[in-house]
Amino acid sequence: MLSMAWMNLKQRKLRTSLTTLGVVIGIMTILAVASLGEGFRGEIKQRMEQGFELNVLIVFPGSFTAGLREGFSQKDIEYIKNVTGVSLATPLITIPLTEEVKLCNETGAKLGAFTVGAVNFTEMREILPQRFILTKGDFPRENERGKIVLGYKASVVNETIVADVGENVTLSMPAPPTMSTSNFNFTVSGVLARGGTSGITNFDYWAFISIEDALNMITKKDKPYQIILVKVSNVQDADRIAKEIEKHFGPYSVTVFVPTAFTRQVNNILSLVQMFLIAIGSISLIVAGVGIMNIMTVAVMERTREIGILKAVGAKNRTVLGMFLTEALLVGIIGGLIGEFTGCLFSYGLAQILNNFLQPNETKLLEGPETQSIKLTPALSSTWMIIAFMFAIIICIIFGLYPARKASKLNPVEALRYE
Amino acid sequence: MGRVVVPALRGVSFDVEEGEFLAVLGPSGSGKSTLLHLIGCLDRPDEGEILFEGRNVLILNDDELAELRLKRIGFVFQFFNLLPRLTALENVKIPLALAGISDKEADERARKLLEMVGLGERLNHRPSELSGGEQQRVAIARALINNPKLVLADEPTGNLDTKSGWEIVNLMRKLNEDLGQTFIVVTHDPQIAEVADRIIYLKDGLIEGIKSISR
Repeated sequence: MLSMAWMNLKQRKLRTSLTTLGVVIGIMTILAVASLGEGFRGEIKQRMEQGFELNVLIVFPGSFTAGLREGFSQKDIEYIKNVTGVSLATPLITIPLTEEVKLCNETGAKLGAFTVGAVNFTEMREILPQRFILTKGDFPRENERGKIVLGYKASVVNETIVADVGENVTLSMPAPPTMSTSNFNFTVSGVLARGGTSGITNFDYWAFISIEDALNMITKKDKPYQIILVKVSNVQDADRIAKEIEKHFGPYSVTVFVPTAFTRQVNNILSLVQMFLIAIGSISLIVAGVGIMNIMTVAVMERTREIGILKAVGAKNRTVLGMFLTEALLVGIIGGLIGEFTGCLFSYGLAQILNNFLQPNETKLLEGPETQSIKLTPALSSTWMIIAFMFAIIICIIFGLYPARKASKLNPVEALRYE
Repeated sequence: MGRVVVPALRGVSFDVEEGEFLAVLGPSGSGKSTLLHLIGCLDRPDEGEILFEGRNVLILNDDELAELRLKRIGFVFQFFNLLPRLTALENVKIPLALAGISDKEADERARKLLEMVGLGERLNHRPSELSGGEQQRVAIARALINNPKLVLADEPTGNLDTKSGWEIVNLMRKLNEDLGQTFIVVTHDPQIAEVADRIIYLKDGLIEGIKSISR
């Protein structure tokens, strides 16, 4: 029966190959979409893990709903430190650099920094061990004053070093009450290694001074801290700890950024998009199925006489049914196999094209954190290959069933009379 | 307005003896083919019964009828009805394949039978490469391949020239005598009918007369 079906298909090469092509495209689409989606998701996830430390929560005063509040006090930090599951909490004072607030080198040229952050260097190193690394120089010792650590891009502007270790920089800012400009001098003690990635904790455009120095420069000394970084011992506790902190400060008076919640959300969205694309792929396979139904129905009409002959010489209904179903099945299997193969090629090809598209246009991004090029690698899973293949076969059988049944039910006498 | 039902056969009753060569003679539209289709279990009558080897075949289901056609009845048609894509040998092998006989044995039997009908040289030709007479020989070989009890021929010479027609009729007669199979041949040619043991005259769905020919 198999060889007979094969022969019948071979007899109608063009039509068979067109139908098979339909199946191939369906399988190819599903496979490519699934694997690219999977690859994309993996890539995004990896980038998010690079962009944020999953075990570090970031606490801001105020909220989107209630507006910004004044900063945190030392007492607030002590509270957070004592929440169960928190291994460390360290505050940040941020001084944004503007037209009035400037960070310049000895010759008066501006450094590449956007923000000056006042931190406890020891705690920062402990909380972000992968980011707070020096490329040269040293971190200021505990209680050492008048030192500054520059982010990579703060120290290097247009590939020229504007402030190197040992050199002096000046932070000039208008100080209340007179608002006359005061200058604060710092010695560069170290330069941070280049972060490169985007994400909240990219310090390439920052400059860091000690909290004690900052407290001398600002007026508001009781609640000076704008950000608290909280390191949790166990990532699973992040949500609970965030809730606890929010509860302590009252509704909407703090915002806690939980990286895991964020990545989870993005992951969900990506799953949804992937499912949507797969649905589109499935539609193309269903279209292919209708094509199979079409070719088989025509084949039944065309071969009415042949079916009559077979029945006259003693073919049972189920033999005829089996014959046509075998043909549909063969189309499914062949189309499925070719589709799997081309689907793999297609996803790699598509990934290549998309990768070329996704290269950031460097000239447009003059400043701001460097954007890394996104690299899409298709993740071909055997699960998806099996699902796609089974789907092809099922579609072929379902759509082949109607014409096959029609053929098997033909009255032999009428079929013989058919011209 | 409705469809007008025209009965093709109206009260036809006769017996066929085992090993007999029976001719059914009649003009077109007399119901010959319908009669043959009924005997061959290709169609079911609205009324009446058909006994084959003493068994009423009308109580059988479609599959059982197919089985009967496969194993006990052979068909020869006016337009040969060979599968055009298959060679002579393959065409003859179809019933064997349907009966589930191994390809090797089928091959052997089909070759032998094709030699018997005088086509030993043309085993691998397709119907389009064969003459009408040769095609009909292939059809006869196909009808005989499963050793049926009964061979039915529907105007077997209707599409052939006189010479080939006679060759076919003589071949059938010879096979009937050699192998002892029962033949029922439908024809509108009185001369051809004369070859038979018995002739049934059919007109407008009724038997007009029966003539036995003694040899």
